[in-house]
Amino acid sequence: MMRIGFRLALAYRSNIVMTCVTLVAQVFLLRMIWTSVYGARPAAAGLTLDALLAYLTLANLQSFATHTVVSRTIHERIRSGTVFFDLARPPGYLRQMAAFQVGNTFGGLLLLAPVVPVVLLVGSITAPVNGPGYVVTLVLGYVIAVQLALLISLIGFWTMEIGAISLLYRLVSQFFAGTMVPLAFFPGFLGVLAGALPFQYLGYVPAAIYVGHITDVAGPIMVELAWIAGLWGLLALTWSRAHRRVVIQGG
Amino acid sequence: MIRAEGLTKVFRRPRTFPGPLGALRTLVTRQYVEKTAVDGVSFTIDEGEVIGYLGLNGAGKSTTIKMLTGILTPTSGTVRVGGLVPWRDRSANARNVGVVFGQRSQLWWDLPLIESLRLVGSLYDVPAARFETSLKKLRDLLGLDDFLDTPVRQLSLGQRMRGDLAAAVLYEPPLLYLDEPTVGLDVLAKDAVREFIVEVNRTGRTTVILTTHDLADVEALCKRIILIDRGKVLFDGAIDALVDQPRRLVVLLEPEPEEVRGVRRDAEGRYVFDIRGDLPGMIAAISAEHTIRDLSIEEPDLESVIKGIYSR
Ligand SMILES: Nc1ncnc2c1ncn2[C@@H]1O[C@H](COP(=O)(O)OP(=O)(O)OP(=O)(O)O)[C@@H](O)[C@H]1O
Ligand SMILES: [Mg+2]
Repeated sequence: MMRIGFRLALAYRSNIVMTCVTLVAQVFLLRMIWTSVYGARPAAAGLTLDALLAYLTLANLQSFATHTVVSRTIHERIRSGTVFFDLARPPGYLRQMAAFQVGNTFGGLLLLAPVVPVVLLVGSITAPVNGPGYVVTLVLGYVIAVQLALLISLIGFWTMEIGAISLLYRLVSQFFAGTMVPLAFFPGFLGVLAGALPFQYLGYVPAAIYVGHITDVAGPIMVELAWIAGLWGLLALTWSRAHRRVVIQGG
Repeated sequence: MIRAEGLTKVFRRPRTFPGPLGALRTLVTRQYVEKTAVDGVSFTIDEGEVIGYLGLNGAGKSTTIKMLTGILTPTSGTVRVGGLVPWRDRSANARNVGVVFGQRSQLWWDLPLIESLRLVGSLYDVPAARFETSLKKLRDLLGLDDFLDTPVRQLSLGQRMRGDLAAAVLYEPPLLYLDEPTVGLDVLAKDAVREFIVEVNRTGRTTVILTTHDLADVEALCKRIILIDRGKVLFDGAIDALVDQPRRLVVLLEPEPEEVRGVRRDAEGRYVFDIRGDLPGMIAAISAEHTIRDLSIEEPDLESVIKGIYSR
């Protein structure tokens, strides 16, 4: 299944050109805006301009690299009834879908790789303050992202229609991941909310560790592991209810 | 191999309401519309049999197959497939079963056929060596070589169906569910599918449940049929017994007598005699009393027999 995800990512490589253009443009625009916002100020909320720009470049790169397509795939397969075949396989459904997503991410990374230098050039990057911490929190964050995507997909077994929900989820998750604005700038209540939600691990936390804005790494890793365990349980529970409701369309 | 008892599936959907606020009401309603798709179906199927599972559109055939694969849970009743309860031992049952739905494909649309076959190999833990021999055999049997590396979306329906058949038997399951595997195929492609089914059944003792609207499939492949109508079993037994009726002599007479003793008239007003023994003698006897304008001899066939059962 991983291989299928990988091959599909490559099969749709014409998309990637648009994706790369979008990514480069987004990083470029963010750089312009934030440079002008900072003006002559040396730092805000503990972030220097250089650190902020490196943060934004990374966070956007991450967000594109870890983008999950699995919800859309699942949704299409529920609607067309081909989900039948996924369910008829010996391995568990969620395992297959997770493998699909991981393969797809690898495929996406392969296609994204040539553009990375361009993005780093257009944005700006500094040497990592804590490289290993960055990688570990990012990988765990990715696991959380896949789990959340699967959880959203399962709604499709109830409603058949998850287009609007997916869109909402994408907006919310991107916003609270801090892809456009680092969470350090979120005021009061919003900051508390962002800190309580898991989306920060998809963007803000790893990138902030990279630029040295967050220095405690053990804490976030523990919380990430707790989220993974919790989401694991929630997924298992949701799936056991969803799959009792399965009706296969058409026949 | 398969034993079903009182198998029943009732679909329950929230009632839909008309009008602009209908969708909203549908979302919160506690009223349901119920539809009994399969209604107390029982049958036993032995190893190595090829069963024609027949019925009109909407009779409940596909729903039965979905329950046999363990993907739908029946509302009531039980099934054992090779000793397993499909929806409880879903994963173990999956290894015993290959499925083809003519109306939809298990192949990945945007990838070359071989990728989907590899996926099946890995999901069913087929060891590499066995995968290669199995694939080799199927390439010969189904002529896959021409399009193994073509993306599935570029395949013709017949090629796609052959790909789907290959995917269903790649791991050599002892049981095959084929839901309309010849739908939309031309005469040659249909023959290829039939020959394949015969071959798989013969060499692997594979048990096959076949759903189709083409009775020629059934005549070519099945010794026994199960006929269902509105979810209920209408007939279950050997085809031979079903069509074991005398040939018929059908004549058009002039002038048309009101009634000929012991003879039916069909919808076109022709007279239908059962042929017993001496045919020339029969014809001579009829022409002695009437003028025969046209004459034909009809073999009893599955289609007319099945139409007869439905109209009862
Ligand atoms: N998901 C569903 N929800 C509600 N009703 C359903 C659902 N699936 C099937 N049905 C109903 O159940 C009945 C049996 O459907 P099924 O697909 O088993 O028929 P079939 O015998 O395969 O017919 P066909 O020859 O047309 O393929 C139909 O009346 C259909 O409308
Ligand atoms: Mg059907």
